[in-house]
Order: sequence, then structure tokens, then C-alpha cells
Amino acid sequence: MPLIRKVRDTATIASPDLLAITEMFKSGTADERWVAARAAYDIADSAKVLGEALARERDARVREAIFTSLARISTTECVELVLPFLRSDEAALRTGALDALRAMKVVVVPYLQRLLADSDSDVRLLACELARSVPADEATRRLCALLDSEHEPNVCAAAVEVLAEIGGAEALPVLARCEERFRATPFLAFSIKLVADRIRSQSPPLSV
Amino acid sequence: MVFSETKRYYVDRRVVERMIATGSGSFTSYFARLRSDTQGEVEQFVNAFTVNETYFYREEHQLSCLTKDLLAARLRIKSRRDAIRIWSVPCSTGEEPYSIAIWLLENWALVDDHEIEIVGSDIDTAVLEQARSGLYGKRALMRLSPSLIDKYFAQTELETWKILDDLRESVTFTQVNIMEAAETRSHGQFDVIFCRNVLIYFDDASRRIAAENLFENLAPGGFICLGHTEFMSRISPLFEVRRFADAVVYQRPIGTNADD
Repeated sequence: MPLIRKVRDTATIASPDLLAITEMFKSGTADERWVAARAAYDIADSAKVLGEALARERDARVREAIFTSLARISTTECVELVLPFLRSDEAALRTGALDALRAMKVVVVPYLQRLLADSDSDVRLLACELARSVPADEATRRLCALLDSEHEPNVCAAAVEVLAEIGGAEALPVLARCEERFRATPFLAFSIKLVADRIRSQSPPLSV
Repeated sequence: MVFSETKRYYVDRRVVERMIATGSGSFTSYFARLRSDTQGEVEQFVNAFTVNETYFYREEHQLSCLTKDLLAARLRIKSRRDAIRIWSVPCSTGEEPYSIAIWLLENWALVDDHEIEIVGSDIDTAVLEQARSGLYGKRALMRLSPSLIDKYFAQTELETWKILDDLRESVTFTQVNIMEAAETRSHGQFDVIFCRNVLIYFDDASRRIAAENLFENLAPGGFICLGHTEFMSRISPLFEVRRFADAVVYQRPIGTNADD
């Protein structure tokens, strides 16, 4: 029979320390930087080193590992380090930052309001996506507030898409007002109608 | 593993089962037992939460893809001296790694030209014991033809079949938590990984970690097969999507040697 069994060497490799990963990020190969990025989550005070490395890193694979380690450490410092990348010109970096922030869950909640009110509509649009990771009541309240004042149809569409998944009957009056405001933007009015119908079919009537 | 509010009944039922099994009169006393890991309760608790239902030749189209496309792609870039390594994780009670072995013996013309190492791993030690025993009921064999059952199994009781010793002894079974890099790394790199229907139970953060661990466990150019409802592109950008006639799988790009 060609099938074989092998006993493998299970010796573990010592993990690098903060000094070592700092050096690996500065002068290591892409493989060494990947190792540093993956080890960093378990090393005290490594968030700053990860943030600095992320700003310099050009290898998409290493960036991904840095984002994951920052998401695993998941402190406000990590959120602050990742947030600037939501404004990156590179789509991959913006997406990586968004995914990392989403994985940080509750640590991101205090930042959500500020992001939804950002002067950059692209950031507001991404912030709608971020709302998926916060508690549904909180997310619904914040997205509804955004819909009542947002002038950019694409941002509204992003908020409506999230509300399609998490929204309850309390979102219906807000959706109706938004639909009225954007009557001249058929794609948005259409998606609002679909989402409102969906919420209505799934929600008990609001008590008066 | 992540259980949302809608899975509360599932969690409740398993906690109650463990309370009964350990003779705990209240949740407080059971929780104290769990926290102190009395008589290995943490392992028993984890075992109670894992989903272990499977059968031979499940998602056969991926096995077809393995012999029609994936192995040929691997052989184009790997040394003939190196064994072909295939990892089934999680392997539950062993149906998947044994299916891979039987499929290769039955369907791959080059099977005798290469050394093939198949490893089955799971976090649940109880299912690993079952896998090592190689005993299966009628339901697990439902997708196998009578001739395959005759060829690779011996009936031991009315409704129980045992996989032949030669085959049973050719698959290695190990315990692993795919969230723990120290555990996954010790398994080395594989040409093909079958990791089906487990990532769906993880939250976003855990999926990213598991994906990076599995990435390290793939040889550059190696393939990972997920369950039909799972999409690696929604989990991690590390892998490239490869569409073959029988299945969509994910590949570690050839020019990456991250953990070497």
C-alpha cells in the first residue's frame, strides 16, 4: 500500500521578544516580518511596533498578519493605529483596516459615532459596514441618525444594506423619510423599499 | 467557536448533559469543576460542543477534484522524492481521512508511484479514539457501493463494519486546535488540506487566526478545500481562488514561504 505514516518532530520554536520583532520588522525578509507579525499579538506592548510596521509594510500578506495581531490585541491603542488606514488610497489597505476593526468588536463602539460623522464620505461609508460588528440596537440607532442627515446616496445605501440585516421596526419611519428625500435617486429608493418590506415582514407592529 | 443567542438551546442542552454526567447538583458546582479542570472536564466540555456528524465520500466532488486536478498541480512543482501530504482537519470520527485514502486507491492512477501521508486531526479526543478504532455504522457507509464496503471493511456485528487494518494503520490521527499556531505548526506543511464546515462556527477574529494558521500549514502552491457554504475570500485575502471543473478551492500562492 502506498499510504505511509510518519512520526514528526514536534519540537517547538522559541517565540521572539519585542526587541526581536522590532528588528525583524525593520530589516527582515517578508518571511521574517510575517513571523514577527504573527508572534506580536502575544508580546506585551507590541501594538506600537505593529502600527509602525504597518505604515511601512508593502507586502500584502504581512500587512494581513499585522492587522490580525492588532485585532487580537484589540485595545483602544490598536483601534487608533488602524483607523488612519480607512483613509488609505489603496483599496486593499482600507479593506484590511475595516476587517481588523470589525474583528475588534466592542472596542470600536466608542469610535463609531465619530466615523459616521466624518467629513470624508468614503469613511462614513466604511463606518456603516463597521456597524455590523456592534450590538444591533446601538448600530440601528446610529445608522438611523445618519440616514436622517446624510446627503450622499452611496453612504445611505451602505447604511440601508446594514439595516436590512440588523434593523427592526424602529428603523421604518427613518427609512420612509430617507426614501422621500432621495426620490430622485431610483436605486436608493428601490433598495429602501425592499429593506422596509423585509423589516415589516419580520417585525411585530410597534406598540403605541 | 461562537454561539449566538439563537443557539442558546444548543449550549443549554450540552451544559445540562455535562452537569448530569459529572453529578453536579447546580451550575455553580459544575462551573467550579470546569474552572479547576477537575478530571479533565475542560476537554470533556469541548468534546460536548463539537459537531461530529459525517459519512464516507461526503462532498465527493472535492475528492474528484483532488485526483483530477489538485495532485497533478502539486506534482508539477514538488520533488518526486517528497511524500504527498494530505490533512483532514477537523476529521471527526475519521470518515473523511479514510475516504481520501480509499478514493486515492480507487481513483488515482499514479497512487503506486508516490508515497502518500494522510493525517486526520481534531480537537475532540473522543472522536479521535473512534477514528482510530475504525468502526462504523450503516449510516456512515451509505454513500459507498457494496463492492467498496466488501473491499475495505469487515462486518463485525449486524450493523457495524470495521475498516481493514492496513488502511486503518495507514492514517495518522492527532489532536489539534486550529486556533493554536503552536499546535498546527508541529504538523508541518501539506499539499492539500480538507478543512470543511468548521470555520462557519467561528467569529470574524477567530476565522482570520485559523486562516493564517492553515496558510502556514500549506506548502507554497498547496490547496485548501472548504465546505460548500464557506468562502475563504470572505475570511482572508491570503489565498487565491482556483476554479476547477469539480470544485472551487483555495491555493496558497506559489511564491510565498512565510514560515520556512
